Amino acid sequence: MKFTIITKWELKGTLKSKKFMMIFFLQLSVLLLMIVVFNSFVTNIESEEGVSITPSLNDFASLDVQDQSGLISKYVNPEILNITLSNYNSSLTRIAEGKTTGFLYVPGDAVQKIQMGQTVDMIIYLDSSDPKNSVLRDEVNSTAKIVSKSYSNTLVASAYPKNSKIPAINQETTGESLPLQIIKKVMLVILLFLPLLLFGNMVIDSIVGEKERKTGEILVAMPISYAQIIIGKNMAVVLTISLQVLIWLIILLLSGFNINNPLLVFIFIFLTSIPIVGITSMVAAYSKNYKEAGIGLSILYIGIVGFLIVPVLVYISRKSFWSNISPMTIVMRLFTGEYPSLTDYSLTLTCIATLSIISYWITIKLFERDDIIFGPRPGILRLLSDFLTFKKY
Amino acid sequence: MKVTALLRKEAQDILKNKIYLLVVFVQVFILFGTFGIAITSSIASDPTLLDDSGIISSLKVGVPESIRGSELETNLLNQKLALIYYNNIDDAKDFLGTFLVAVVYSNPDGQDVTVKTDNSNIFYPVISTKINKAVNEYQIENKLVSTGLNMAEVQNILNPVDLKVVYLNEENPADLAIDSPYFVEIMYGFIVPFILLLPFFLASNIVTDSVVGERERKTFEVILMAPISSSMVMLGKTMPILAFSIVQSIVWIVLLNLLKVPIYNPVLIVILLFFIGLGFIGVGILLSMFVDSTKEANSAITIVLVFATFVLFMPLFIKASYFTPFLNYIPTVLMIKLASTPHISPNIILFSVPTILISLTLFAITIIYFRHERAIRL
Repeated sequence: MKFTIITKWELKGTLKSKKFMMIFFLQLSVLLLMIVVFNSFVTNIESEEGVSITPSLNDFASLDVQDQSGLISKYVNPEILNITLSNYNSSLTRIAEGKTTGFLYVPGDAVQKIQMGQTVDMIIYLDSSDPKNSVLRDEVNSTAKIVSKSYSNTLVASAYPKNSKIPAINQETTGESLPLQIIKKVMLVILLFLPLLLFGNMVIDSIVGEKERKTGEILVAMPISYAQIIIGKNMAVVLTISLQVLIWLIILLLSGFNINNPLLVFIFIFLTSIPIVGITSMVAAYSKNYKEAGIGLSILYIGIVGFLIVPVLVYISRKSFWSNISPMTIVMRLFTGEYPSLTDYSLTLTCIATLSIISYWITIKLFERDDIIFGPRPGILRLLSDFLTFKKY
Repeated sequence: MKVTALLRKEAQDILKNKIYLLVVFVQVFILFGTFGIAITSSIASDPTLLDDSGIISSLKVGVPESIRGSELETNLLNQKLALIYYNNIDDAKDFLGTFLVAVVYSNPDGQDVTVKTDNSNIFYPVISTKINKAVNEYQIENKLVSTGLNMAEVQNILNPVDLKVVYLNEENPADLAIDSPYFVEIMYGFIVPFILLLPFFLASNIVTDSVVGERERKTFEVILMAPISSSMVMLGKTMPILAFSIVQSIVWIVLLNLLKVPIYNPVLIVILLFFIGLGFIGVGILLSMFVDSTKEANSAITIVLVFATFVLFMPLFIKASYFTPFLNYIPTVLMIKLASTPHISPNIILFSVPTILISLTLFAITIIYFRHERAIRL
């Protein structure tokens, strides 16, 4: 009896379950939602200058304005500020009553003053007790700078002799902007790796389920080694994940996402699923029940996500060799059309292989212990002490 | 059997469950983590805060030796940039993107200026703003001085608008961790509603565990045979979970205040959270009626929570016309307005009516279904 038989049983049981199929397709619908969100982000970013990842806050703060000249008020960002045309006395009362966050006063002869080469003194009154006052100050300041620059340029152009040589500023940028890279590369690579984290429940069901249903005894009594049981069960999950990844990849390609080297991308995601399933089965093997395994997994997955994403961010900012330790970095580099070197590949593959060997070895060792399968379960310190003293079970 | 006995039993079940307490601890970790990220990113994106924090060494700009003593050098130094001088500017260009964030040089007559900036650097927005200011002022000063204008006139042209800031109500200032617009926007615009809603995401999990768990352990029959109505069973099951979530949210409000993110209108926020919690718990119980095991319940609730996250948080980040008519009615938007405004307009109560109605409807449907024995499938 080989592990492939266990894999076949597990796959059959999984694919026959109507509820599993429902969840499988619900996960696909989550992907479709994410594609909508992703496209909205990219559209927003590509349509605006000054890219930032902050929430768009409708009418977040309120500003009263007295500006008969229209110098500033028509340029203030109406999306974040709720602007009310007002006058000095009523606005100061409204600030005192907490009905508005600030009041901007622009002299009525502002435009004439600028044209005569004089400085316009604007005043903004801010309510210190309102935390949004800095937002108001920043918005008005930015608007004043834009208006100021526009008038400066006009004045400079009129003051400077027409036929003289104009000194130029040549601006060049290298690299893609960080927010755009985060949206276009990091979000896409997260989308591609997401299926790997959605099948933890399947691993838990496959291992903890045997304990809860009391079918573990039958399983260990079969003429098959513990290692083959674990590998057989995990291979079923890895194959299911790879099917989901393949579907996601096809959907993303059909949706117009630019994914270079799709085959290599698929292979690396598939390889990454092996240690992730191994680590998950390690937690499942030690857990007493579904609930405990679920919570343990949630905490562990925070660490796994951190291990995968942090090197990606490091690579974007520093292009460090060590950032290839995360398979996510290699996948991102592959789908953006880069050609990683053999040493980069070998670092990723070494990491995948090491984590796989360690996690599967620990899982098999845990599964071999009767006290873990049938109870009473030993504590982690006791397990460590048994490991360090080479105690055999 | 009185409902109080059931309430006590459910409350004890929650408080004795180490896993729930662990998840509460994880929320504290999330709160401090997101607060730390907000502070760091606020400093990284704000030239004034960056200057104050002394992270000037991160902003290295390569310039040629020939720039020494020039107006351009003075303007760049006025922007508090760390200048690294190179005999050959081509050497500096090689370091762009690694050691240097930007390279600035002018042609031999000092007229045309070239600025090369690494767009992918985390400090790009700040460095770009600072260099642009220095270079633009240098360029315009050069132009205007050559026309024979004096420095006062040049300054008038450079700064035609002067903004004076006057603070009112200074006796009662908002006690914020840092005075940054980005910090205020990201904290109130995302992190505060996210943190305050986390306990209710956990509540949906607890409620499915409570209902499906009882069914799996075959203890639901005992509760249903007790001399209390189905509605009271529901009340006894849901109120401790709701109270547990609300208490967590209140603790997060207190913690946020201690971290100098003042949360205004806490009573109204708690009332709103109560109704949002009813909705979450209602959905959790409805799901529990349709699944057979804790495993199925966990999978289903995860999917539902992903959808809830989209509905509650995506409108905050996506500027789309189809969100506009509903924006003011979305619970997270209401929470943002309540938490960040010291004196709230009474209109906010009208905007919260749809949330209250939807939550009450969901909860009422749950109670009606729960009365049917077939729905809980013993």
